[in-house]
Amino acid sequence: MQREGYVPPTAGGGTGSTRPGGAYGDAPRQTSMKYLCADCGKSVTLNKADPIRCKECGFRILYKERTKRMVQFEAR
Amino acid sequence: MAPSKEELERRRIVGVELERVSNVTSTDFPGHYPGEDHSWNLNDFKKKFKIDIHKANDLDYEFDLIGVDASVANAFRRILISEVPTLAIETVFVHNNTSIVQDEVLAQRLGLVPLRGDKKGFQQLRWRKKSSDEPAAEATDFNTVVMTLKVACTRNHATPATETDPHKLYFNSSVYARDIKFAPQGRQSSWFSGAGEIRPVNPDILLAKLRPGQEIDLEIHCVLGIGQDHAKFSPVATASYRLLPSIKIKQPITGKDAEKFVNCFPKGVAEVRKDKAGENTAVVVNPRKDTVSREVLRHDEFKGKVELGRIRDHFIFSIESTGMYNSDELFLQAVQILKKKCTDFQEKLMES
Amino acid sequence: MADHDETLPDAPEYATSNVAGSELSDDEPLDLTHENNAKIIMLGTATDDDSCASFQFENEDHTLGNALRWIIMKNPQVEFCGYSIPHPSEPKMNMRIQTYGEITAKDALIKGLADLRDLCDVVTDKFIAEKQRFLAEKQRSA
Repeated sequence: MQREGYVPPTAGGGTGSTRPGGAYGDAPRQTSMKYLCADCGKSVTLNKADPIRCKECGFRILYKERTKRMVQFEAR
Repeated sequence: MAPSKEELERRRIVGVELERVSNVTSTDFPGHYPGEDHSWNLNDFKKKFKIDIHKANDLDYEFDLIGVDASVANAFRRILISEVPTLAIETVFVHNNTSIVQDEVLAQRLGLVPLRGDKKGFQQLRWRKKSSDEPAAEATDFNTVVMTLKVACTRNHATPATETDPHKLYFNSSVYARDIKFAPQGRQSSWFSGAGEIRPVNPDILLAKLRPGQEIDLEIHCVLGIGQDHAKFSPVATASYRLLPSIKIKQPITGKDAEKFVNCFPKGVAEVRKDKAGENTAVVVNPRKDTVSREVLRHDEFKGKVELGRIRDHFIFSIESTGMYNSDELFLQAVQILKKKCTDFQEKLMES
Repeated sequence: MADHDETLPDAPEYATSNVAGSELSDDEPLDLTHENNAKIIMLGTATDDDSCASFQFENEDHTLGNALRWIIMKNPQVEFCGYSIPHPSEPKMNMRIQTYGEITAKDALIKGLADLRDLCDVVTDKFIAEKQRFLAEKQRSA
């Protein structure tokens, strides 16, 4: 389970190429990231040099996805 | 040397005057009145003490406790509010929450949802921790109830484009308490089965609103606790008492004044009736309905003609349950808890 | 999902032997491990003949304090009884008892606790009887 370090949600979705906590340059890091369009709500996959722009509607505001980690709260 | 009937009646009434209350403290102690016996006597108490039920709905009881001191009635009330244990949501594990309600706000909301289930089943449960500063015991099926809440909102494509009602436009646009599902652990499936399954008392409590693409996915742990620790554990919405009002007409109030007198009280407290001489006279019918507003004392025409008060040992007790137990069961539990305090301390004192 | 939500471990065996098959009556309060966690100490202000003493109750407040004070004051052999909560953020309740000397303060306290317990039994019995009477009457008139 991903509990140790923050692992950004990647477009690959799998743990195949991503190593949590691994040093940079150890393995080719997944360079694409998943975002959500603030206008149409569609999922947008961006690579390193891509313009920050929704591929469906062209909107320029994108949101990061929520962490996949479990968070514990006291109901008080 | 027994006191006269009038004297006993006088002692029973707490006076409510225009600007003050009088005769406030109880005086039924040995040595207070020379030559009178006020010592504790169980047989006398059995004879004097009376309970009168006026309303008996499952979750709403109203009854009179007559012939008991305020300290005891107050002990029952305090125990009902803060010492009868109930089950409530204590920890929320958020796997995903993309709704606009923040995690901690949602967790706090969930905590206040009253739960119910098989009453016999609850007797199998044990403390996880009794107060917030105590370390929690290991979670077992004896002390932790697990529930889940997993809802995702989606668009309903069958609706016409002109539709504006979110309930028709989307599926799961609102998350209700009924969406919380019981996940029995170990022996819990036999303690809380069928109709005795643990569930929210009120299925229609709105917890959050969703729009397409938003999702709530939680695991919820419930534990036993008492109201002293957190109000969410309190088994009652209110448990309260008031003293029965007493209105005494010292001199006849007649004619126009009688009508005015009646209008000084809420409906049904006093009435105008024809007396033997055929004159309109004010009479008190039901002081129970009075709010003791003291309006009648503001008018000069009633000066010296009426005395307001409350009966010192007549408690109108009302218990509104939040639903885990019925109100009558709660009262009996409160009495048992006070009794357990007594036996426990007595035992400890005998040992030492 | 997360690995914390594997089935909860079973309770230790002592808990089962206490509960399984035991008859729990309806007016039995929930809880309670039937444990006695009451804590009381005598404070060091007692007189030589023990007719006057102070006691400290732990985890108690006005609920027990005032009711117990009232019933101890009902004892004709007691000269004085009063209670206080020395500090609001400490869950402690102090009770002072002074007797006329025929009994010790501790005896007066034990009698007070016993009397209050008897009172609770009377309240329980009367409430159950009145509830049956009320429900029977309601059924008759319905």
